[in-house]
Amino acid sequence: MSWARVVAARLCRLFDHKRFERELDEEVRFHLQMQIEDNLKAGMNPAAARNAALRSFGGIEPMKEIYRERRAFPVVETTVQDLRYAVRTLGKNLGFTTTAVAVLALAIGVNTAMFSVLNAVLLRPLPYKSPDQLVMLWSQNPDRNPREGRTAYWNVEQWRRQSGSFAAMAFFDSASATLTTADRADKISVLRTSPDLFPLLGVQPSQGRVFTAREAEQRERLALISHRFWLSRFGGSLEAIGASIQLDGAPSRIIGILPADFSFGDEDVWEPYTMYPDWDAVRRARGAGFWAVIGRLRPHVTIEQAQEEMDAIARRLDGQLPSAQRNLGIRVAPLSLHVVGTRPRLALWMLAGAVFLVLLIAATNVASLSLARSATREREMAIRAALGASRTRIVRQLLAESLTLAVVAGLLGLLVACAGIRLILAFKPGNLTRLNQVSLDPQVLACALALCLLAGILVGVAPAMAMARRDPGSYGRTGGRGIAGGAATLRTRRALVVTEFALAVILLVGAGLLLRSLWSVQNVDVGFRPKRVLSVSLAPPASTGAAQRSAFYRLVLEQVESVSGVESAGITSELFLSGSAPQAVIAEGDIQPVSERSQFRSDELSKGLFKAIGTPLLRGRFFTDADGPDSPPVALINEAMARQTWPGRDPVGRRFKVGSEDPGSPWFTVVGVVGDMRRQGLEKEPIPQMFQPLAQNPPRRAILLVRTSMADPLSIADAVQAAARRVDKYVPVYGVTTLESQLDAFLTERRFQTWLLIGFSVTAMLIAAIGIYGLIQYTITMRTHEIGIRIAVGAQTGEIFRMIVLEGLQLSLTGLMLGLVGALCLGHVGSSLLFGVTPTDPLTFVTVSLLLTAVGAAACCVPARRAIKIEPVEALRQE
Amino acid sequence: MKSVRTDKTDVLQGTLILLVLQTLETLGPLHGYGIARRIEQISRDVLQLNQGTLYPALLRMEQEGWISSRWGASDKNRRARFYSITAAGRRQLAKATEDWKRMSSTIERFLVIDPARLEEEGA
Repeated sequence: MSWARVVAARLCRLFDHKRFERELDEEVRFHLQMQIEDNLKAGMNPAAARNAALRSFGGIEPMKEIYRERRAFPVVETTVQDLRYAVRTLGKNLGFTTTAVAVLALAIGVNTAMFSVLNAVLLRPLPYKSPDQLVMLWSQNPDRNPREGRTAYWNVEQWRRQSGSFAAMAFFDSASATLTTADRADKISVLRTSPDLFPLLGVQPSQGRVFTAREAEQRERLALISHRFWLSRFGGSLEAIGASIQLDGAPSRIIGILPADFSFGDEDVWEPYTMYPDWDAVRRARGAGFWAVIGRLRPHVTIEQAQEEMDAIARRLDGQLPSAQRNLGIRVAPLSLHVVGTRPRLALWMLAGAVFLVLLIAATNVASLSLARSATREREMAIRAALGASRTRIVRQLLAESLTLAVVAGLLGLLVACAGIRLILAFKPGNLTRLNQVSLDPQVLACALALCLLAGILVGVAPAMAMARRDPGSYGRTGGRGIAGGAATLRTRRALVVTEFALAVILLVGAGLLLRSLWSVQNVDVGFRPKRVLSVSLAPPASTGAAQRSAFYRLVLEQVESVSGVESAGITSELFLSGSAPQAVIAEGDIQPVSERSQFRSDELSKGLFKAIGTPLLRGRFFTDADGPDSPPVALINEAMARQTWPGRDPVGRRFKVGSEDPGSPWFTVVGVVGDMRRQGLEKEPIPQMFQPLAQNPPRRAILLVRTSMADPLSIADAVQAAARRVDKYVPVYGVTTLESQLDAFLTERRFQTWLLIGFSVTAMLIAAIGIYGLIQYTITMRTHEIGIRIAVGAQTGEIFRMIVLEGLQLSLTGLMLGLVGALCLGHVGSSLLFGVTPTDPLTFVTVSLLLTAVGAAACCVPARRAIKIEPVEALRQE
Repeated sequence: MKSVRTDKTDVLQGTLILLVLQTLETLGPLHGYGIARRIEQISRDVLQLNQGTLYPALLRMEQEGWISSRWGASDKNRRARFYSITAAGRRQLAKATEDWKRMSSTIERFLVIDPARLEEEGA
């Protein structure tokens, strides 16, 4: 165990540094003295005796170095020494240090903040038992269905029965229900689920129990509540278990409370899946439906294997489906992909990549700065080399300096990151799930540390290599001016500046494309006039019949229209859509095959709705009071439907059917065509839509849209709500907002991405500009003598100005070219994030090129103007 | 100066340790200068020690626990550091001596073998 003893001995030595040095000195002096005395005895004269003694001893200082290294832990020792020295030198050079630290801190901070978002949203595993095994199963028609199509009950049952890849399979659907208490009614969201969802996710109620499969089948009205709901409604009292709540007008018994850290969607109440009023119809439905299906793969079963099995099952089931539901495939996808969709994923990775480029640019810039500085430090390095510092030691010294810089910058960067995270949270970018879990956790801190080290190495490597390449012997020869080694350094710095520019161009092009997309989205025609329109949600009790609901809506409209400031009002079952089921539309007298189904949407609305929101009538008429429950079914259709169902013909007066050819289903007569509305968000093309009169099919919940004469429609929100409550005190009136802010919400995510990327790329551009400025300034300092002579022999100032600016422009143009090529190559990767603009948009590319050329030129002009003011005499005197 | 040094043998690290241990074993506690002189004398100046290199070696041996040191007065009443061999040092000396002998006899054999004789044996 001799190494252990050595380590112990060395550890002891770490602490008595001074005594050790003194003793070593003393020992060496004693040795030399003895030798000298012996030499004198041998008859040498004193000078010769001394020289001989020194000669036979060998180099004292190198020996001491070896001795010291062996004494304790040389790495620790010299590192401490390097660091101490680094802090001292950096402290002496405050200008450089502040710039470098500021640039790096900004870059590291922004990167850390971005990573914390990435970590919370994408990287951190989902909070369930073995989340890797969890998958979603979707029904999809390869031609027309959305990729994440939901499924009917019968199909889910068959899947469960026939598949062997899954340890468990559960299904759920979220619905909204009216919760009535003594004094008010609220809308809450409930999750209707099969009972096996809870064991599948690995969650147990913190109090009480889960309903059983038997209870679910017998349609017992049971409920589990969220921790949040428990606290807000029952104050965390255990009396909640067994208590009863009124949901949609009927009592449900609470049997369990879910743990605080459980989150699965945003629901407050979980009910058995059989709680649909029309359960029997739901049970019988086949094909596409409204159940989302989640499965847990058996151990060692891959998603591909499960997919293969489900493909086979889908083929087997196809023959048993109604003809309109044929050709339905099954897609197995990781749950994580459902939690955060592909597009936000791509956007996040793109932003992370962009911000990493900013870090690279910042590090490159600081590297360039420190290269310049190292050129002026040659004399210092020469002295250190002469005193016995090895090349590795000098390189290590330089790396220690850059790492010190990076660590200081990293600490400040953490502050920047905290601020950044706050900013991001304040911005609430769209509907990114799990964003609220963003925090500075150990992973994020580890990432910050890694970024620090990376930055430190990036910054230190270039000057260290420049130093290491040089022959130590040449240090002395360059004299005091410290610039002779500059040629190689200058080449490296030029390359660095070109890199900075290229990276900045890539970022700017990306930002430009996103900005153009944002403009396109903002200027898209939504199909209605959203200004000054108030939006309120209403939900009459579920138990009321169609006639009562219809009357309720009519009375509400009457009351609301009498409020002062209201110009017109309308009611619709839904305005903005999160999804739509595919449906077959059969036009009368058409031989179009029934399987010809497509995205379709049907809504009910009051006669004044289109007037209230400002959607134009293109043909025919709006609904009238005559379109009542007893008159023949009529419909308004949108342009998209007119185009698809009756291409080139006038649809007014024609009849059509929705869904099956079942003789019982009604024929609708088209009375008019309205303009298309973008109801699925601003970026999706309008789908075919039909509208029925409210009186003929009154919905269970509705949205009241009120056009006001107020600049701020919210100012009469209270009056409108009161008007609705005058009709029925217990009707939930909720979700008060304006149409404009709803539209604006569609833009938040895109706007967030765009402005973030613009911020990153402008930062990058500024850093690149500083880089080129510094470089030109440096070359001028180096060439002061030459410029002085040129002026002295009669060069025009214009010529000199041109010479310098051209040199800078040459660099920025090279960077620009490389960057444009890079942007063209990277363009297609993010093309799905663009809207209304191609990844090779010439306008963006030209604008970015002009902008960067201008910035590059401006950055060169400042030092160039200083150069032409050089006094020849001054310049020559510098020699 | 460089040329002078090359024709004398530079003392290898491991050998130096063996020499130092043997010296301390024979002569008892000794200061660095004494050790250096003794090695040079015994080797009749064939092993030209670059005396400075002795001290890092002494430090290492002390860390290994083969020798110990204490400050004392030299014959001319100067303060000097005296090194003495420890029990562990004696064991190490025995082991190193054994190793050395084995090694040198092996090399010896190589050197005395006459290639001609090898061929004869092979035939």
